[in-house]
Amino acid sequence: MTPPTTTVRAEDVRVGDRVLEASGDELTVTRIDAAFMGRPEMIAYVEDTPARWRKLPMMVGADVEIVRTTPA
Amino acid sequence: MTSQPAAHTSPLDVDLTALDGTPLDLDGLRRSAVLVVNVASRCGLTPQYEALERLQKRYAAAGFSVLGVPCNQFAGQEPGTPEEIATFCRATYGTTFPLTEKLDVNGQQRHPLYDRLTGVADSDGQAGEVMWNFEKFLISPAGDVVARFRPPVEPEADEVVAAIERVLP
Repeated sequence: MTPPTTTVRAEDVRVGDRVLEASGDELTVTRIDAAFMGRPEMIAYVEDTPARWRKLPMMVGADVEIVRTTPA
Repeated sequence: MTSQPAAHTSPLDVDLTALDGTPLDLDGLRRSAVLVVNVASRCGLTPQYEALERLQKRYAAAGFSVLGVPCNQFAGQEPGTPEEIATFCRATYGTTFPLTEKLDVNGQQRHPLYDRLTGVADSDGQAGEVMWNFEKFLISPAGDVVARFRPPVEPEADEVVAAIERVLP
């Protein structure tokens, strides 16, 4: 069964969460960078795995749809 | 046993495929000053193409070229096919500089071109991963990576133009 999605604030996303992008793609967060491009109001999620590397910036405070499979 | 000094190699001593799928002609680029830029068609910085093309027109005859590297690793902002990317660049910005095929610039699948480039520090002393679309690396005709400019630095910023003019052959 597919895990349910939930909406959290951008700064509450954790490593291990799968972020659903507007494009429909998913990004599995393996790292969260602060101050994207030097802007403290932005963070960036990074998926850095053997299979692929992707980066997705987000405004702090924005709503983000995620799938969370790790316990709270 | 006598050890020999390692031969000096350029980051451009790699195989690169052009956006149209043919081998990229690197002989001319290896004799030129080259500004390598990872590009994307749907980024807020995409209008930097205009200034990149102006640099190309201004300095090409003096032995300079921009080399565009389409990359979809940053928020998926380069999702198109090679044909779509080529058409976008020509029709929107009239680009004449070469473009590679779509490449990874970060991560374990990173193209060897970027193995060398990402080892170079920017003006703040920071090396490592490419930060975002439109990061710029300047390679001299001798094959040295002489400058790294982060994405917000405009292609025609004084520091970029000065660096280019210092290394023209």
